[in-house]
Amino acid sequence: MLRRVGTDRVTPGSQTSLREANRARIVNAVQQRGSLTQVELAGVTGLSPATVSNIVKELVASGVLQTSPTSRSGRRAQQVTLARNLGLVAGVHFGARSLRVALSDVTHRILAEERMPLPPEHRADAGLDRATLLVTELVESVDARLDEVLAVGVGVPAPVDPATGQVSSHGLLRGWDGVAVPEVLGGRLDVPVHVDNETNLGALAESRLGAGRGREHMLYVRVSHGVGGGLVLGGRLFRGRIGAAGEIGHVSVDEHGALCRCGNRGCLETVIGAIALMESVRQSHGPLTLRDIVTRALSGDPGCRRLVSDAGRSLGAALATVCNVVDPELVVVGGQLAQAGELLLEPVRSAIESRAILSLAGPVEVVAGELGPSAEVRGALALALDHVAVPGAGGPA
Amino acid sequence: MSAPVLSLRGIVKSYGAARALDGVDLELRSHEVLAVIGDSGAGKSTLVGVISGNQRPDAGEIAVGGRAVTLASPAVARQHGIASVFQDLALAPNLDVVENLFLGAELTRGSFLDEVSMEKQAWELLGQLSVRVPSVRVPVGALSAAQRQAVAIARALLGEPRVIVLDEPTSALGTRQTAQFLTLLERLRERGHGVVVTSHSLVDMHAVADRIVVLRLGRVNGEFDAALATQEELLAAVTGVGAPRRGEERGGGAR
Repeated sequence: MLRRVGTDRVTPGSQTSLREANRARIVNAVQQRGSLTQVELAGVTGLSPATVSNIVKELVASGVLQTSPTSRSGRRAQQVTLARNLGLVAGVHFGARSLRVALSDVTHRILAEERMPLPPEHRADAGLDRATLLVTELVESVDARLDEVLAVGVGVPAPVDPATGQVSSHGLLRGWDGVAVPEVLGGRLDVPVHVDNETNLGALAESRLGAGRGREHMLYVRVSHGVGGGLVLGGRLFRGRIGAAGEIGHVSVDEHGALCRCGNRGCLETVIGAIALMESVRQSHGPLTLRDIVTRALSGDPGCRRLVSDAGRSLGAALATVCNVVDPELVVVGGQLAQAGELLLEPVRSAIESRAILSLAGPVEVVAGELGPSAEVRGALALALDHVAVPGAGGPA
Repeated sequence: MSAPVLSLRGIVKSYGAARALDGVDLELRSHEVLAVIGDSGAGKSTLVGVISGNQRPDAGEIAVGGRAVTLASPAVARQHGIASVFQDLALAPNLDVVENLFLGAELTRGSFLDEVSMEKQAWELLGQLSVRVPSVRVPVGALSAAQRQAVAIARALLGEPRVIVLDEPTSALGTRQTAQFLTLLERLRERGHGVVVTSHSLVDMHAVADRIVVLRLGRVNGEFDAALATQEELLAAVTGVGAPRRGEERGGGAR
């Protein structure tokens, strides 16, 4: 019932078409943000509070939305969400060394989540098998059936062609080159599957649900095993020609530096990626994981603190260039290294300040992500939700 | 770098004419997950038996923290800080989580059981391992396979061992439960334990181990740095294709 969208056409410019467009605006806003009060809805959609109230009432009656009483700054308010029973969506995030799967209802409420470590240079076939099994087991764990899953969003740690859903890079993710994830995973689960780059999804999640809420132009960087980024411009994810927009990890920072997995030399990732950091502590501290480095830096180990702050400086220098090009309102730093908090962010800020264009408004704001390690999987859920056709929304956004 | 917390030299163990272990060397550091992989009959279980004190080797030396020891029984091994969890888990299904954790080592207050402290410790321990159980007062028999296993591992941790030995922990688990177990292994490592884990699942071990030792026909057929090894190399060592090699020969650097 859900995927069938009303096809009867109405004359453009008529009262009916206007009303339908307003209804679609409201449903889309709720779909993207999970839950909003009626007042916030009016702000986001630009409709009058009375119109919002009328349309919400109508959509509640037809079972698309549901409301619950809440309060905003001491005043009574109506919280609006999509009706929970509309169905489920699943999000899958393949990182360089881990897989995270989450299941939520259409209101962005997470019902179940699981993380699984993955071997280095994991393969698409084995990874997609595991993802299939995990999605199936999570669905069973909430007493639902697979056919209640309306869509699946998937993030992979390589650029994805927005048109075809294929991994569009060469050599960045060996074992995944050219893999058409929607076909493979969609075939196994029999559910529509939508794919994007992991950091694009992190950017999407932080901009809608996390640190970037209410900001128009935002740059998200993820510093974990790999280094990547995503751009939100004018409130929308900017993907670029082959889905590689924002790939800050492969900005060249040292012409004579180490060879990178992408085939170039001296990429930012060869300087501040996990492998580089792990390699530089090996002599003094023995084998440490990225998590160990962060934990030790936070507990005061001088070597690890130095390593993190140096990484921050290199990251800031690269970010300054990007900031000069796109001039974002906000830079959000996510990924495992961001767990080091100010140890990383302070040097990032000062490196940006010393390089970026001076402005009356002051330097660009740099903050840690709010969604932590779940940002990318939350983005995958949002991607899936964007493709769910809700009755009254006028088709997928 | 720290000295190995456990080291085995030239371990030999025969069953009649069959040599299960034929001169095995092994070193384990604290804060490390060492995976021992190999086909059935490669000697994994015998090796685990030797480390846990269940089997006496015919020849070879074992040192714990640099001191030579004889692991005559599991109790002796535990005294030396080596705790083992086997496939059967050895839990009492009709007792609850707290009772299982403290079975035989109950905390007392005067002549009474100190239920409050035991329950608190149980939650702390399970929390550190990121284990989700509905309640520590449910019978263990009502838990999932992964939760039961976590309880068995938590019990092994109560004596704060230096070394934890896990024999084929993933063989009876579903995908989600395997995911939870692998995450738990990462927690054990973070707590600073040295962990020896055997498995025939190459992919799972490659995902969480720091080093991988491949056993083949009772001998070490390769030792790998997990971050640098490829699956082809590991498979070749397991199946015996190609010459045995040591992980140290491989260069570091980003690949």
